[in-house]
Amino acid sequence: MLKIVFGDVENSIYHPPTYFDNTYEDEWITNPLSVQMIKDIDKSEVIGPRVIDSPVLGSISVKELSGGVKTLMLMAFDKSGKIFNASACGDNCAKWICNIAKEKDLTINLHHVMSFAEVSGFQAEILNTGKIVNSYDEYLAETVKIKER
Amino acid sequence: MKGKYHICVQNSRIRYEFDIKRNITIIRGDSASGKTTLFSMIESYNRLGEDSGIEIVSKKECITVNNATWDLILDKHNDSIVFVDEDSPVIKSQEFAEKIKNSGNYYVIITREDLPNLPYSVDEIYGIHKSGKYADTKRIYNEFYNIYSVS
Repeated sequence: MLKIVFGDVENSIYHPPTYFDNTYEDEWITNPLSVQMIKDIDKSEVIGPRVIDSPVLGSISVKELSGGVKTLMLMAFDKSGKIFNASACGDNCAKWICNIAKEKDLTINLHHVMSFAEVSGFQAEILNTGKIVNSYDEYLAETVKIKER
Repeated sequence: MKGKYHICVQNSRIRYEFDIKRNITIIRGDSASGKTTLFSMIESYNRLGEDSGIEIVSKKECITVNNATWDLILDKHNDSIVFVDEDSPVIKSQEFAEKIKNSGNYYVIITREDLPNLPYSVDEIYGIHKSGKYADTKRIYNEFYNIYSVS
């Protein structure tokens, strides 16, 4: 299940892309989930664990992937127990966050009201209030009660 | 600083072209739209100048600041266009807001967060997308689009 905590929180990583650059494992890159996310978000092809083919930048290293896709890979594969700031992700990452949360309990940190409008069957627990929201409208209604960002 | 400034940042593969109209401009939007690439190109140009292979055309100097050096750099500049990437939580601080308030620089801030300490206009919140103007060239042309304006 997806759990969301707004505002500053202990054990969180504010800028996940930098954390990713210094902690990722080669096998994360070639995992089928990562290959799909890199294709969808960055429009790029994984050639190997250390080479990506970007239509804009050409042949790039893993460190040149977008901050959003790096944060998604941390959410999927990191075992440290850290909470990652999903405000490093654009709204085009929302469906992938929800897909990862279908496979495991995933807690994310937000410093803005991310749009999950495109996610069908959206459900999450808002840890600031303890409320479980069962739709995007319920999520928006709950976020207005929360001062922390 | 006053008025509008046209800025072009490019290398052999990618070109950004946009106008900065007010003292605070916010860039946000989808992942992989090129926000951090723009910042990195300006940062590389700051370090290496033309040796970077990057070209910047702007009437005002474009500089970057980060979380560690922002106050030292801003103390030395009062007539520049300052770019700040989203890895700098200092942008939320009152200290940063005070520094901007007393500064002549223009600021371009990459963030999805609301910044209640800073007086920016909803009309100056932009995303980046590919321009259709030069679709037949090898270089990817990027421009800003206004995210919230209805006009």
